[in-house]
Amino acid sequence: MDQSKTASTNSLDSDSKSSSINSRQGAEHLTIRDSPFAYLSGEDDQDIKSDVTYVCPYRGPSFGILTITNYRLYFRSHPNQLSEGELPVVVDVPLGLISRVEKIGGSTSRGENSYGIEIFCKDMRNLRFAHKHQNHSRRTVVEKLQAYAFPLSNGGKLFAFSYSEQFPENGWNVYEPLAELRRLGLPNDSWRITKTNENYTVCDSYPAVWAVPKVASDDFLKKVSQFRSRNRLPVLSWIHPKTLATITRCSQPLVGVSGKRSSDDESYLHYIIDGNARSEKLSIMDARPSANAIANKAKGGGYESEESYQSVEINFLDIHNIHVMRESLRKLKEVCYPTIDDSKWLSSIDNTLWLKHIKFILAGAIRIVDKIETMSTSVLVHCSDGWDRTAQLTSLSMLLLDPYYRTLKGFEVLIEKEWLSFGHKFQQRIGHGDSRHSDADRSPVFLQFIDCVWQVGQQFPYSLEFNELFLITILDHLYSCRFGTFLYNTEGERVKEDIKHKTVSLWSMVNSLQEQYKNPMFRANPTGPQIVLKPNASMRNIRLWKGLYCRWNPSMRPQDNIYQRTRELLALQEQLQKQVTECKLKISSRPTPSNTRLASPLH
Amino acid sequence: MLNRKSEMAKKRNTFTSYLNSKNLNDSEPKATIEDLKLLPGELQVASTASVLYPPTVKITDTNENEGIEGVLIVTNFRLSFISDHKEKVTGSYQENMFLGRNDVCLNNIDLIYQIVDKKKRKLLPQQKISSRIEALHIVCKNFRLLKFSFKSKEGGKNIAHTLALFAYPSRSDLSFGNLFKENYYNTIKMTVTMFNTKNDWTRELIRCGTSEWTELKVMSAETFNSKILPKHFVIPKTLESMFDTYSRAFTDCRICFWTYSFGKASLLRIGEVKSIENSYIYNTTLEKIRLNDPMKQPLELLNLCDLLPSIQDVQRGYTRLRELCTPENPRQVLLQESKYLQLLDKTCWLLYVSLALKESTRAAQCMLKGKTVVLQENTGRDLCCVISSLTQIILDPFFRSIDGFQSLIQKEWVSLEHPFSDRLGHLYNPDGADKESPILLLFLDCVWQLLQQFPAEFEYSETYLTTIWDSAFIPIFDTFQFNSEFDRQLAVKEQQLTLRSLWDWSEQFSERDKMLFTNPFYTKKESVIVRKSVIPPNAIPLHGLQKSFSSSRLLRDHPLQTDSIPKDKFLQPKWEISSLGVWQQCYYRWIPLFEIKNGGFPHIDLHNRLLLSNIYKLQKTLETGCDPSGDDDDDDTIDVMLRPRNKEINFQDVNSFFPFSSNENNSDQLNEILISSNDVLMDGSIMERND
Repeated sequence: MDQSKTASTNSLDSDSKSSSINSRQGAEHLTIRDSPFAYLSGEDDQDIKSDVTYVCPYRGPSFGILTITNYRLYFRSHPNQLSEGELPVVVDVPLGLISRVEKIGGSTSRGENSYGIEIFCKDMRNLRFAHKHQNHSRRTVVEKLQAYAFPLSNGGKLFAFSYSEQFPENGWNVYEPLAELRRLGLPNDSWRITKTNENYTVCDSYPAVWAVPKVASDDFLKKVSQFRSRNRLPVLSWIHPKTLATITRCSQPLVGVSGKRSSDDESYLHYIIDGNARSEKLSIMDARPSANAIANKAKGGGYESEESYQSVEINFLDIHNIHVMRESLRKLKEVCYPTIDDSKWLSSIDNTLWLKHIKFILAGAIRIVDKIETMSTSVLVHCSDGWDRTAQLTSLSMLLLDPYYRTLKGFEVLIEKEWLSFGHKFQQRIGHGDSRHSDADRSPVFLQFIDCVWQVGQQFPYSLEFNELFLITILDHLYSCRFGTFLYNTEGERVKEDIKHKTVSLWSMVNSLQEQYKNPMFRANPTGPQIVLKPNASMRNIRLWKGLYCRWNPSMRPQDNIYQRTRELLALQEQLQKQVTECKLKISSRPTPSNTRLASPLH
Repeated sequence: MLNRKSEMAKKRNTFTSYLNSKNLNDSEPKATIEDLKLLPGELQVASTASVLYPPTVKITDTNENEGIEGVLIVTNFRLSFISDHKEKVTGSYQENMFLGRNDVCLNNIDLIYQIVDKKKRKLLPQQKISSRIEALHIVCKNFRLLKFSFKSKEGGKNIAHTLALFAYPSRSDLSFGNLFKENYYNTIKMTVTMFNTKNDWTRELIRCGTSEWTELKVMSAETFNSKILPKHFVIPKTLESMFDTYSRAFTDCRICFWTYSFGKASLLRIGEVKSIENSYIYNTTLEKIRLNDPMKQPLELLNLCDLLPSIQDVQRGYTRLRELCTPENPRQVLLQESKYLQLLDKTCWLLYVSLALKESTRAAQCMLKGKTVVLQENTGRDLCCVISSLTQIILDPFFRSIDGFQSLIQKEWVSLEHPFSDRLGHLYNPDGADKESPILLLFLDCVWQLLQQFPAEFEYSETYLTTIWDSAFIPIFDTFQFNSEFDRQLAVKEQQLTLRSLWDWSEQFSERDKMLFTNPFYTKKESVIVRKSVIPPNAIPLHGLQKSFSSSRLLRDHPLQTDSIPKDKFLQPKWEISSLGVWQQCYYRWIPLFEIKNGGFPHIDLHNRLLLSNIYKLQKTLETGCDPSGDDDDDDTIDVMLRPRNKEINFQDVNSFFPFSSNENNSDQLNEILISSNDVLMDGSIMERND
């Protein structure tokens, strides 16, 4: 944490409040060179230019040195430019965050700072650097950036494979599928665990280990998978410890325009119903708007008709597809970065529809929770392929239902399980190391999930063990390519590439520095109605996450942090408790009066 | 007069059978009309059996079970609803000693709608009342929406009739404040300065360090046009000789009043001259103010009429905001949900808050640079109060304490005469509708924004601010009832009004509720100096009642210091709309649908209170050496509140509008509105159909 402070408080663009990129493990692991920043292990200089101007949208231009390594872009203004007491301007951006690099101005450009490059980042900001024509410094900078920001488009390898820092904790051990299923009480009378997908042959985008209805044999599973888009058949995500109501997930059935049926699929859903004695029904939550679900029939997909499937009810949750979400985020960036038009603020935010999309995801999860908790009905969730909206809904409803997923480690398990192992296509959605910035497969699906989790934390400040910084850290390293966690599309690919041995897990770092990611307001062991969280889905309670989307704008920083005060009080309480305990130990002698009257009592 | 009228009305009330036969079989104990404890001087005027509906539920014949059955009663003080079933005491609701949970002061009622043949029509006094009233919608000034349906048309008409008579009084002598004859013992803290004596003003001058070098003069109205001028005020000495003639050139004689000094800079409020012919007087006045400045610097003149919305704008903004906060049926809720931020934008309320904060920040910045600031407004009694108060809160930590805040309202609003009666619409005035404007609420909202930005700097909480707004409509407290000190004194003389200050919070609330007025994040500033004020002659100070208000009672006897204002404790607020928020507790609290169950800011608040309480106990243990765990007499109020029955700390009933949660109803069905899928709500134009 100290490192992150020294490395960053002197910068407007990446200080500790707004960026988590610089947080590192203890100093012994850092390679200190004759350099203004601490290199990561495996990080090497690629280019240094000492005549570059960084054009900050808030502080204006500053002249300094630009360093490009195989991991980051680092700019620091020349010290002689500063007046007394002024801190240098620092920009420290992992190259993985870069979405595209563009040259601005040509040899004929006139005017100050009109010739240079503009860098578009995945974390809502753009960076502008101005070069001097005569030095030809721009050409190599662009070349190096292209090479190291987009290694996959240039036959190179991602930085995660060069990075070798050692952490006390090994994050790859966080998620153990069998242990997690055991925690859920599986196997039991109705559910068994199968390794039929061990070689990822039944379904290449699914994990190796599944929990499925006990009566369904491995051969039968194969048959069922034939009727589901990309073989993503219904598999268990979560089971209620008492009622045994389940959340299962899958992709859309291959109904098509002709309205095809599969008796295997139909009986399989019945096995799921049979696993829950409390309800005769299965509630299918199709994440899509009904119009989209119908339109999918033309492409061979569709949804379960209530005529073909007995004892199911189908609900559409109105969550839009990846393209709509990408467009919404693009608009949001326009509104939030670099400057805010305050007079239009409220209506521009409304126009992005971002908060409305968040509301619908949250509302969908609330409906799932309601079915499970209030009606004890099992829920089957799917969208089209079952790896985007489905992941949002299952993971969010599990977070609301099960306090375990609200702990720091439990949340890591949740991401590992519902997102990584079930094949959310991180490579395609984020485009790690890929120069095709306008690829239609990119979409902020995971970002939306994290936003929803933040909303839950806002509504229930005591419910999450982790804090906002933890969520921002996850998002920063979602793009940074420093850790192997979010690389590739499927578990199968990750196993093939042996990332557990060739890269470091994000959770290794996070779990080694847990304290800074903890929420001081967290109440462990909730009782009564607080076990299940029921957020309020009114637009009045859904907020724009300014701490994320507006974090680069110095005028949008929060003024005061009440969490800090709580942390101090907790520390004081602990210290006093210790003193009291010590006093009690010395009970034989007269207790010495203490002079630790540090804070005022209740006002 | 009123008594006679109310008795007449009572006689007309012949409808007595308010108990529904269906309910007679119920074995549960029923609340009855006798459960309404009338205050001394309060008279019951009308009553009828009715059903109270949640604000967002549409009243239809088919959803009767969504409402609560009970009796609706009108008195000369309030509209009261008593449920047939005794209410569960949850311990998480602010209990007012004058008002039950389903009571509102008649003063608080803004609009009454009668529902006849499913049509909604505004009910105005002196208007024919339909004999077929099915339901009434009552919109309150504090954003509450009450909906009643009636068992008998007769009963509905009776209620509507009496409300039309009593909720819209046309003369101030009809105010219930005059009739309320309970004995009053002033327990108000000596640390609140009322600014109703010359001495108070002199002390403020000394506190600001102005008396030594700035020539300011405390004036008393007796010598002048006492009907229009405040009782006491401070003017630059340079204006003293021509005050009598010059002041007449200004609207309401508001020539130029000093309110505050920060170092060498002063803050003054000035009105406008009545006509252009008086511009010489105006210019001379400004020059005299400048000459009074020790540095003889140019003045910073903020013409608030140009910089800020008019009082009518503020009223329009408030009305639109209230519409957004009082959706009447599920359809309206859905419509609002679909474009909530757009609608919020259209109210302009946040824009007005933003502008008020912007100008106050500017005034504070000028004063920090040592420049004297003059706030100008036509009468100098509306937005001048807002900007002047905010500027002082920004500059001076004293005004961020409870005592300081109350003193500030006394100084800027009460003593310098914000026309409360006109602005809050205490009297019905069909011609003076444009005089109504919630300038006070605008101010409270601005303070709330500052509290959000600087939680550690304020001794008071949002609950305190919300309660002030509610209290503005309780005529028992004179603080916000009058346009001027002259009117107040007239009421004392002619109506034998007992003056009760709102700041005597023990009159309204128990210790438990008062405790929630403080802010657990406040880190007490040692430099806050509390002034010794003069004990009112009729006051009998009682000990031990102000426990919850900590503010340095020990400092009370300190000698008054010259210029005791710290110069480094000023705030630098953000005033941009993008940095502001909606004051949910105050505006949304009446709508259960928008409440986060078991969540929201109160959990953060209570968590910290509990920590403070634990720390206090541990410190006590260390000091005294005895273990307090077995000490049941611990009068720590936080514990009393959080564990009402058993020893377990209970956060269970704490929802986001705490302590104003109105979750008597199980609103799970209502929540369906918020989570059900609805294609209509999505803007279809950008949505792609293919997946």
